[in-house]
Amino acid sequence: MYRRQVRRRRAALVALIVVSLVLISLSFSEAESGPVHSLQRGVAAVLTPIGEGASRALKPARDLVNWVGDTFDAKGENEALREEVAELRSQLADLQADGEAAEQLRGLEQLTSEQALAGFEPVTARVIVRSPTVWWSTVTVDKGSSAGVEVNDSVISADGLVGRVTEVTRGSAQVTLITDHRSAVSARVLPDGPSGVIEPEVGDPTDLLLEFIDSDEEIERGQILVTAGWSAGDVASAFPFGIEIGRVTEAEPAERAAYQRVRVRPFADFREIDIVQVLTSQGSESPGTGMSGAEGAASDVTSASDAGSEAEG
Amino acid sequence: MIVTRKIALRIALILLAAVILQVSFLSYLSILGATPYLLPVVVVALGLLGGSMVGAACGFATGLLVDSVLLQPLGVSSLVLLSIGYLAGRYREGLEISSSLTPPLLTGGFVLLGGGAFAALQLLLGVETPVSLLILREIVVQALLAVLLALPVYPLVRRTLRAALIDDLPPRRVLTPASVRRRSSSGSRSAARGRSRPPRVGGGPRGRARRVGA
Repeated sequence: MYRRQVRRRRAALVALIVVSLVLISLSFSEAESGPVHSLQRGVAAVLTPIGEGASRALKPARDLVNWVGDTFDAKGENEALREEVAELRSQLADLQADGEAAEQLRGLEQLTSEQALAGFEPVTARVIVRSPTVWWSTVTVDKGSSAGVEVNDSVISADGLVGRVTEVTRGSAQVTLITDHRSAVSARVLPDGPSGVIEPEVGDPTDLLLEFIDSDEEIERGQILVTAGWSAGDVASAFPFGIEIGRVTEAEPAERAAYQRVRVRPFADFREIDIVQVLTSQGSESPGTGMSGAEGAASDVTSASDAGSEAEG
Repeated sequence: MIVTRKIALRIALILLAAVILQVSFLSYLSILGATPYLLPVVVVALGLLGGSMVGAACGFATGLLVDSVLLQPLGVSSLVLLSIGYLAGRYREGLEISSSLTPPLLTGGFVLLGGGAFAALQLLLGVETPVSLLILREIVVQALLAVLLALPVYPLVRRTLRAALIDDLPPRRVLTPASVRRRSSSGSRSAARGRSRPPRVGGGPRGRARRVGA
């Protein structure tokens, strides 16, 4: 009797493990329209309204806890901000001295704000569900295909680029953040710096890496990065040109390597994103890209991997 | 644990509430750079209360549910959570929980183990970008937060499932020869006063001392 019970228990355990492994395999190999993914979207569609209601109800408590945390962090942040102010003053002095560079920067910033939304219909959405693990940096927003949201639409916050839509149900959409390990964004250093690929460092959402920058390129701390938005024929970056991503915090010139590693602090605070805008392509023929010709060709160095990653992520 | 239909429903509601609370509230919080992870805490609590099969089944279901809600690749969370649920259940089946601090500390240990297993599984499946050493901080802090979370969660789950817990039956007085003699002597005195009640016999085999933390 006891032995039979033990055998049955072991069989159940083995069955659960096997089912888990099969699910892992299917999740990675099955097409998006496959039965497992469809079932998953069905479950998500049922549970999302519950999550949305809970998210709204629990927002005051969430804000309270975050406020307490922010208060504790305020002292350290104050010192950091003082240092940043001093640094910005120094940069401002440099810019004032160099009027031409300042003018160029201003022009590019204007271009950024105009072109980021040109040809796109922004849909404002609220974050309702968030992944608890750093291995998958995803959030779910409360707007889906019924609001015109489609897979591959760019998502921005008031601070800058947030991520890209990777799954859509009727009333919700999953956004893969740029801190997710499956994400890669082609980016350009302003005002007239090189282009590279922004990748995250898993485990540190406040630090991004700008890859594929030649060692002889001069990049300084404080320079701003925007999406490169390349296009080559029928293939185009999922992100339009000119959305602000972050600021360079560290550039390590590599002596022997072909590329240098540049660290970037994103403008968006991914832990506290609440309201975002999905740049839907309603009414536009194709995603707007601000680069063409020489600029587009220049970013072709990264286009293959970028396109692959963006399509995959 | 005796899993009746009613108890299974209660367990399902606990898991659903935990998943909703996790993705709608706790995932937004950042404490010492880490997100409090309630789901393994609940799974370990169910494993410690219900045994290995209950722990494994609950872990599997929780993983499936959270991956479905978040539209993440299915199976990874299930595999990790079912493992720690099973191990928690095996601990309960093999060893005595002798102190009220044991469940929170065990939870911390199992969450640490689960965090490591999750990271290993992710690396096996392939991570295309560099991995920061800060991931270790995240795993350790999550384990510490799990200890704190388990302090209220374990008693709460235990209270919710009390009707199914064999060890939590109301404590009965154990009749020893000395207590029987005392009862009978007091009974005879009462009878002499004319308002006696017949002394209760039996109940010994049913009576069990309450196990602390079990």
